[in-house]
Amino acid sequence: MSGPTGDQIIRVDMTNLTAKTEPFPEEWKLLGGRGLSARILLQECNPKCDPLGPENVLVMAPGVISGTAAPTSGRISIGAKSPLTNGIKEANAGGNPGQDLMKLGYRCVVVKGQPKDRNKRYGLHVTAEGVKVVPADDCKGRWNYALIDHLATQYPQTASFISIGPAGEMLLKGASVACTDQEQERHPARHAARGGLGAVMGSKGLKYVAVDPGKARTRQPAQRKEFMELCKSYTKDYLAGPQMFKTGTSTVAVVANMLNTFPYKNRTAGQSPDVATLDGKNIIESFATRGGGMHNCMTGCIVQCSNVVHDKDGKYKTSALEFETITLLGANCGIASWEDVADLDRLCDELGLDTIETGAAIAIYMDSGGMEFGDAEGAKRLLKEIAEGTELGKAIGNGAVAIGKKTKHHRVPVVKGQALPAWDPRPLKATGVTYLTSAMGADHTAGLIVNPGLPQDQWVKASQEAQMVNAVCDSSGFCQFLQPTLDSIRNFYGLLYGIEVSREEISDMAWRVLSDEWEFNRRAGLTEKDDEMADCIKQDPIGPAKAVWDVPYELVKQAYTRLASSEKLFTTKASG
Amino acid sequence: MPLVIVPPPYQGPTGGRAEIEVAGRSVRECIEAVARAHPGFGEQVFDGQGRVHRFVSLFLNGAELPREGAVETEVSAHDRVEILAAIAGG
Repeated sequence: MSGPTGDQIIRVDMTNLTAKTEPFPEEWKLLGGRGLSARILLQECNPKCDPLGPENVLVMAPGVISGTAAPTSGRISIGAKSPLTNGIKEANAGGNPGQDLMKLGYRCVVVKGQPKDRNKRYGLHVTAEGVKVVPADDCKGRWNYALIDHLATQYPQTASFISIGPAGEMLLKGASVACTDQEQERHPARHAARGGLGAVMGSKGLKYVAVDPGKARTRQPAQRKEFMELCKSYTKDYLAGPQMFKTGTSTVAVVANMLNTFPYKNRTAGQSPDVATLDGKNIIESFATRGGGMHNCMTGCIVQCSNVVHDKDGKYKTSALEFETITLLGANCGIASWEDVADLDRLCDELGLDTIETGAAIAIYMDSGGMEFGDAEGAKRLLKEIAEGTELGKAIGNGAVAIGKKTKHHRVPVVKGQALPAWDPRPLKATGVTYLTSAMGADHTAGLIVNPGLPQDQWVKASQEAQMVNAVCDSSGFCQFLQPTLDSIRNFYGLLYGIEVSREEISDMAWRVLSDEWEFNRRAGLTEKDDEMADCIKQDPIGPAKAVWDVPYELVKQAYTRLASSEKLFTTKASG
Repeated sequence: MPLVIVPPPYQGPTGGRAEIEVAGRSVRECIEAVARAHPGFGEQVFDGQGRVHRFVSLFLNGAELPREGAVETEVSAHDRVEILAAIAGG
């Protein structure tokens, strides 16, 4: 047996409102997620196109392992030319749509074109029988949770959904793409958030994708017995280990604060005096009296890093309240209460917005004098203004650069037009190398290295290795929090298809993903000038060491040249 | 001498050193020896009352030590004391 066969690509033409399937190329069988998205974009998308025009190509690609019995492997990548960075973008999410597509043998959805009537909305209905574009004007303007409640009345309980909120429909550059989680209620709480990909989906008039796997089974590996043994031993080893993420990412706040990478008040400091009230420990403690708890966002996840947060009345409020959200919408805005951040998180999920970009934008607005730092109610009002379509709301929804321009404020912490995540490049230089050289712009999931003591001569290699490991992880469907290595991923690939995948092959795959992305950006017109750290990060010192970004570009750009592979490349854990 | 393994997030005070040999008869003595040589390190492991931070896990020769009494565990010359700090993005 040769592993999964008969896979298909779904091709959607939003100009003519048609959808069809075609065979997935055999030579691409080890290409999925981020790597598949990059390959398709490089081959089929004009890199100089208007990101919100008909020429842009939206790719939804589950990972290679998604849909199998492998643990925590169901992530889906969303890719397109980004309206935020004007370069290639991939953002991935958990939830169930990735696994459901793969169980049906659909390796990706490729959406092109644009409806003639821009006021119309459409859905895409995916089943074992085929795919079709369906009218969805009744969904127009719906917030994500209300949208899913509405769709739940139209589609079977087995279906999962990919959707956009009003921000995507309004083509705002901070718009995210939501995926429903594995809970019975199917909360649209898992977001492929970064880079404004929700706006690309909105520009195509596509409000949602409904994936109904029906009774489809998990994908059958070529070496089934060995594959299942690997799944079992991998799971056993993980559960016997420290389970670093068992209380979620929100509890990292205290450590990050200690390391001066818990940005405060638009990154003018690396520590927040409110760390105790923002600490995820408070969320964990709330479970006892309010309900909620830790859960798996996707079927088959053994990490269970996702928290479900309830309000004081014991009702569901949001999921998951992550470290990045607590930092950018909390500390970075001078907001001290985790409960206020939970409200803001829910609003962002409802509108379909990236919490990092939106938090950064609100902080810039506060820093410019538009609002007091710490004004949580004001921040909530601002988010509601986004839905109302006010000029200020649109500027916030368009992200850090847009609000910086509108307010003429000088402190705009971005790389390639995208807001910096919590992890700060001033103490974490190797992570800064990632922000500058990744085609994704400032994105910690592209290659995070939390090591403030790393010697300078190791910054480039550490960044390149992390970028390579994460590129393969994001192509595999595995969650970065499972922390797979290249060695473990190649073992899964090998048993899935009954082939030997060598270290050389898996490292070549990693480099090819990065190379495809860099090539797209080169063709899009991005140059070394776009590898620029924001002035404020170069000028405003943080922490007792008064750290600034002072790494010479001559050093940074070495990350573009492939370094010799070391043992460490294959044993380094993915980290995001 | 026992070897203390310093996790990457805590290597700022140690100047990037990941493994440090120290003299010590218990896990606490080993960590305190590192802290004396590298100011700033101790605060990353212990809180103001000398307790191990809740986000720090301690391992002896690869086995996680129970939180209660972990630092009082005796060590011998060839033991490896490993510190793990929970770090994630999200």
